[in-house]
Amino acid sequence: MQNEMSRLQALGETMTQHGTQMALALAILIIGLLAARWIHNRLSQAIRKRYPQSKVALMVCNLLYIIIVIIVILGTAVEFGAKPVNLLRLLTIVALIVTGVAIFLKPFIPTLPFKVGNTVKAGNLLGKVEAITFLNTRMRTFDGKTFFVPNRQILDDIVINYHFTQTRRVKIDVSIRYDQDLLKAKRTLESIMTEDPRVKPKPGPMVYVLNLASSSVDLGGRCWVENKDYWVARCDLLEKTKLRFDSEGIQFAFPQLDLHMNEDGVRAGGSGCPALGGLMGPGAREAADEEII
Amino acid sequence: MKIADGLKLIENGWIRKPKGFRVRFHKQTEAGVEAGYSPPPDAAPLNSDVTAWRYAWKLGQATRAAAETGEPGALYNITVVDDQDLPFRFYGSGAFETYNPKHIHDGNGTTPGDSDEA
Repeated sequence: MQNEMSRLQALGETMTQHGTQMALALAILIIGLLAARWIHNRLSQAIRKRYPQSKVALMVCNLLYIIIVIIVILGTAVEFGAKPVNLLRLLTIVALIVTGVAIFLKPFIPTLPFKVGNTVKAGNLLGKVEAITFLNTRMRTFDGKTFFVPNRQILDDIVINYHFTQTRRVKIDVSIRYDQDLLKAKRTLESIMTEDPRVKPKPGPMVYVLNLASSSVDLGGRCWVENKDYWVARCDLLEKTKLRFDSEGIQFAFPQLDLHMNEDGVRAGGSGCPALGGLMGPGAREAADEEII
Repeated sequence: MKIADGLKLIENGWIRKPKGFRVRFHKQTEAGVEAGYSPPPDAAPLNSDVTAWRYAWKLGQATRAAAETGEPGALYNITVVDDQDLPFRFYGSGAFETYNPKHIHDGNGTTPGDSDEA
């Protein structure tokens, strides 16, 4: 009991001696931090308005905020009785340690494989990275949803960064009927890709016969475009392919089923029936007595 | 001839790859009819003919009523041209199409409205 009384007495004496100093230091700290926050908010708002795309301006704004906070803390410490020279030494030591650790340990620190502004696919999410914090990444998907993904989860998952390479390959796969002019279709598809200004001349567009399927000849057009043009270029090329094939009179294939009638009137053939496989394919079509599509 | 030379020959001579597209039109003003481009010649061209044709068609639709009455602001002979100012075929039909066609003498004896009508 006596012990506690003496402690309280000591606290009272300390408050009497340094109370004003402590209150002033606390006031400097609170007002300084609030002011720093206010300045930061106003400044970042102004920067976003004036330079909406600039990342450097925002970085400078954040740096300014950190500097103001450090100055406020130093001011509080000086007011509380700390010697400015000692504080400056301490600050220099801390800065040197942080810089050293950042330089030497950087290769060993796991970093996220993208930057703000990149379009990435992380797990099942495809979108644009809007912000990266110490704990999570803010992503905006193309349908307008905002996701906050924990960085730990991203580091554990497969990430596709579409900004890592400059160009991307576009696939234009079409299927034409067996009775269509294959070479004409190949030439048409290749010319559609070649004449588009967005398609890269090197490597040039190519058209392959991918497959001789049960009811179609499958063609595969391949060309390269800039990453940023990929989606629109792909949609445009598909649209042009459909319309150009129509105007050139090249007919697309569609799933079809051939039924063949025997002389006794019993149905005897059809695609997809293993027992009647001998009647399948384009050759069988010629031998058929009757063809029903 | 090396393969590389042959490929260069094909690249230069087979299919011309335009560098961009613009929509060319004639605009009715108070003073008369003047030619114009969108985007203007000093701005970057559109990199897609699909976009350019869609844009041209919308311009045509938006000014069709004005073009019929000849009000100021009406756009005539709306078509898509490439980087060399040559008319570009509409990818859907393979023809040179023009929206709101009108016979206009532009001083050079050419009449852009004479091409295939939409």
